[in-house]
Amino acid sequence: MESEDDMHDANEIASVEEEDDYYSGGEDEEEEDMDEEGEAGEDDYSYDYADEDDDDDTGDYDFIANYSDDGDDALASRSQKSFTILKEEDIEQRQEEDITKISTVLSIPREAACILLRRYNWSVNNVHEEWFANEEVVRKAVGLLEKPFVKLPNFKEVACGICFENYSCDSLRSAACAHLFCDACWKGRGSRIFSFRFPSFLGELKLCKRATNSYISTSINDGPGCLTLRCPDPSCGAAVGQDMIDMLASDEDRKKYRRYLLRSYVEDSRKIKWCPAPGCDSAVEYVVGSGSYDVSCSCSHSFCWNCIEEAHRPVDCETVAKWVMKNSAESENMNWILANSKPCPKCKRPIEKNQGCMHMTCTPPCKFEFCWLCLGAWSDHGERTGGFYACNRYEAAKQEGVYDEAERRREMAKNSLERYTHYYERWASNQSSRQKALADLQQMQSIHLEKLSEVQSQPESQLKFIIEAWQQIVECRRVLKWTYAYGYYLPEQEATKKKVFEYLQGEAEAGLERLHQCAEKELMNYLNSDGPSKDFNDFRTKLAGLTSVTRNYFENLVRALENGLSDVDSEAASINTTTSSKNAAGTSKGKSGRGKGSSKAGNTSVRNTADDSGNWTCDQCTYMNVSSAPTCHMCHQRR
Amino acid sequence: MTSPSASSRKALSKIACNRLQKELVEWQVNPPTGFKHKVTDNLQRWVIEVNGAPGTLYAGETYQLQVDFPEHYPMEAPQVIFVPPAPLHPHIYSNGHICLDILYDSWSPAMTVSSICISILSMLSSSPVKQRPADNDRYVKNCKNGRSPKETRWWFHDDKV
Repeated sequence: MESEDDMHDANEIASVEEEDDYYSGGEDEEEEDMDEEGEAGEDDYSYDYADEDDDDDTGDYDFIANYSDDGDDALASRSQKSFTILKEEDIEQRQEEDITKISTVLSIPREAACILLRRYNWSVNNVHEEWFANEEVVRKAVGLLEKPFVKLPNFKEVACGICFENYSCDSLRSAACAHLFCDACWKGRGSRIFSFRFPSFLGELKLCKRATNSYISTSINDGPGCLTLRCPDPSCGAAVGQDMIDMLASDEDRKKYRRYLLRSYVEDSRKIKWCPAPGCDSAVEYVVGSGSYDVSCSCSHSFCWNCIEEAHRPVDCETVAKWVMKNSAESENMNWILANSKPCPKCKRPIEKNQGCMHMTCTPPCKFEFCWLCLGAWSDHGERTGGFYACNRYEAAKQEGVYDEAERRREMAKNSLERYTHYYERWASNQSSRQKALADLQQMQSIHLEKLSEVQSQPESQLKFIIEAWQQIVECRRVLKWTYAYGYYLPEQEATKKKVFEYLQGEAEAGLERLHQCAEKELMNYLNSDGPSKDFNDFRTKLAGLTSVTRNYFENLVRALENGLSDVDSEAASINTTTSSKNAAGTSKGKSGRGKGSSKAGNTSVRNTADDSGNWTCDQCTYMNVSSAPTCHMCHQRR
Repeated sequence: MTSPSASSRKALSKIACNRLQKELVEWQVNPPTGFKHKVTDNLQRWVIEVNGAPGTLYAGETYQLQVDFPEHYPMEAPQVIFVPPAPLHPHIYSNGHICLDILYDSWSPAMTVSSICISILSMLSSSPVKQRPADNDRYVKNCKNGRSPKETRWWFHDDKV
C-alpha cells in the first residue's frame, strides 16, 4: 500500500505540470493560449489542421469533391463543433429550401424539382450539373415528360387502363403522359360507395385494408419505392409526383409518403445519419474532416458517426466492431465448453469437472463411470493404475504423445478465455458504472443541486463544478470502458506498448476512482449537513482539482491510444541520446504527435525538475523514477 | 409487390371480378397467339395451354400455365406458374416457378393475363439452351409445401433470355 501512495504523489506532481502541455497542444485552442504564445500558437494550429486532414479524410471518405464545396464552412465551424443536429423541422425546412432553389433555377414545378433532387440524392449541385449537361437524358431518366406520351383521345368515353370500365374523358386522370385511369383505380373507392351498393360487404370491407385497393395506396404501403412512382402503363414511365399523391392519396398515405420523403433526405445523404437511439427522431450531420467521429445528439445519446456504435473514442471502429461481435458471439460459449469440459466417453454429453478426484460418474440416465484423465472405464482402474488422483495409463500415454494435441488445444482455449473474461469483466463493469454515474448526474441536476444550494447557502451557479465533475466521470467511464477492448486486441508480443498502455490506463483509472469517490461519498457529507460547512470551499477546490487532473490523465490516454502508442518506439530510441527535453516529454505519458513542439513551457518546467532532482525516466515504460531507485518502480527495468 | 399467399385464397373483390370478366371476354374475342384458355367455371384460377412457338427450341411442345388471382387483382400481381412438367428453361424451375420480373416487382395493374402470356412466350422463344436454372435443386427444396413464388425474393439479373 505504501508504494501505491508514493506513486500517486509522484503522479500528482507530474500531472500538474502536464496541464500546460495539454492545453497548449489541445485541439480546441483557447484564445488565451493563442495570445500568450502568439505566432507560435497559430503555427501550431494550422499545423494541427493539415495533419488531421491527412489522417481522417483520405482513408474513410471518398467524397472530398463534395467536401470542397463547403470547405470554408468546415474550417470555420471546426473549432466549435464537428456536427450539426437536425430535427425533423430542420430537415423539412432544408428540403423546402432545396426544392425552391431547383424549382426557381430550372423553372420547373416544385414536384418535378422534388423528383430530381430525390434522383440525385438531394444534392442541388448535382441536379444543376446533370440538368444543364443534358436535360433530355435527365428528364427521361426520372420520367419528367415535356409533352404527353399519347394524344388525349377524342372520344366521349374511354376505358380506364386498369379496371377497363368506360368513363367519360373528363372523369379520368393521368400523369403528364395522358395514360388515363379512373379515380377509383388511382386512389381507391370510398367505402361509402361500397356500403351503398353492397351493404353486406361493409363488415368485410372494414376488416380488409383499403390500402391494396388502389394504385397509389398499394405503392405507398409497399415502402419507400413509392417516391419513384411511375404511370401504371408498363411502357410509359412518366413520373407520378407529390402533387398527384397529395390530390389522390388518403390522409394516412399522404403522411406516410411525406415520411418517406423526409427519410430519403437523410438516408440518401452521405453526410447525415439518423441518431440510433431508440425513439429519437433527430439526425446528425457530420462536418467532414473535423477529426473525431464522436457526436452527441440532442437526446443526449452520444455515438460514433462513422460506425453508429456508441461513442468509443479513442478506440477505432474496427476494434469496436470486433469486440462487439466477440461479446455477442456464441463462439465464446463453445470455447468455454471446449476448454473446461470433456465429453462423457459413453453418452458424449459435455462434462465439466470443477473439483474432486478423477473418478467420474456421468449423470443419470447414463451413469457411466470413467477416469477423467484417460477417459477409460473406471472398472479398469484402481489402486494399480495410480489411485483416485492419478492415472498411470494417462501418464504413460502422455509420454508417448497421445494426448498432446487435444490437451494443448484445450489449454490454449482456456487461457484465451480467461484473458477475454478479464477484459470483458472490466469493460462491462465500467459500462454499468457509467450508467450509474449518468443516473447520478441526472439526479444531481434535478434534485440534489437545489438542496445543496440551500444547505450550503451557495447560489447554484457556484455549484457548477459538481456537475462538471459528474460529466467528467461519465465521460471517463466511457473512455475507460473502451480501453479494455483496446487492451484485449493489443498484440501480446508488443510488450513495451502493452506496459505503457497498462500504465496509462492504470493511472487514468486510479485518478478516476479518486474523483468518483470524492464526488459520490464526500459530497454526501455536505449534502446532509445541517448548515453551511466551513470547509465547503476546500471541497470545491479538491473536487475541481480532481476533475481537472482526471481530465488530463484521460486526455493523455486518449491521445496516446489514438496515436497507436506510436511514441513508445521513438521515445525509447531517443531517450539515450537526448536526455533533456525529449526525455522529459516522456513523462507526459504518450505525448501526442499533434502537440508536437507546442508545449515549450511545460517541457521546460519538467526538464528543470528532472535535472535538479536527478530523477530518471525508465527506458521501457517512460515512468519518472526518483534518483535513488536502481530499478523502475513501474516495470522493474534496470536503470 | 408484396402479397402473402393467403390473400390469393381469398375470394375476388368486386373490382377484380369485373376486370377479369372483361379480360375473359377480350381473350375470347382476341386470344394471344399460341395460347388456349381451358374453360372452367372458376374465374379465380385460369389454366392456359401454351404451345411453343415454331422455329424455337420449344416448337411442337405444349405446357400448362396456372394463373391464380388475388383478392385485389389487378392492384396485386396474379400468381403464375407452370403446371409440372415445366419447360426446361434457365429461368423456369422444375416446380413450375418462373423467374420473370413482371410477375413480381415490376407488376403493374395496367398489365393483363394476355400481356403476361406474351411475355412468357417471348421468354421461352429467346432461350438458346434447354436447361434448368443453376440453383434449381436448392430452390425447389426450399419451396416444399406449396409455397407461392410470390413469397420468393427474386433477383432479376439476366435480361437476355
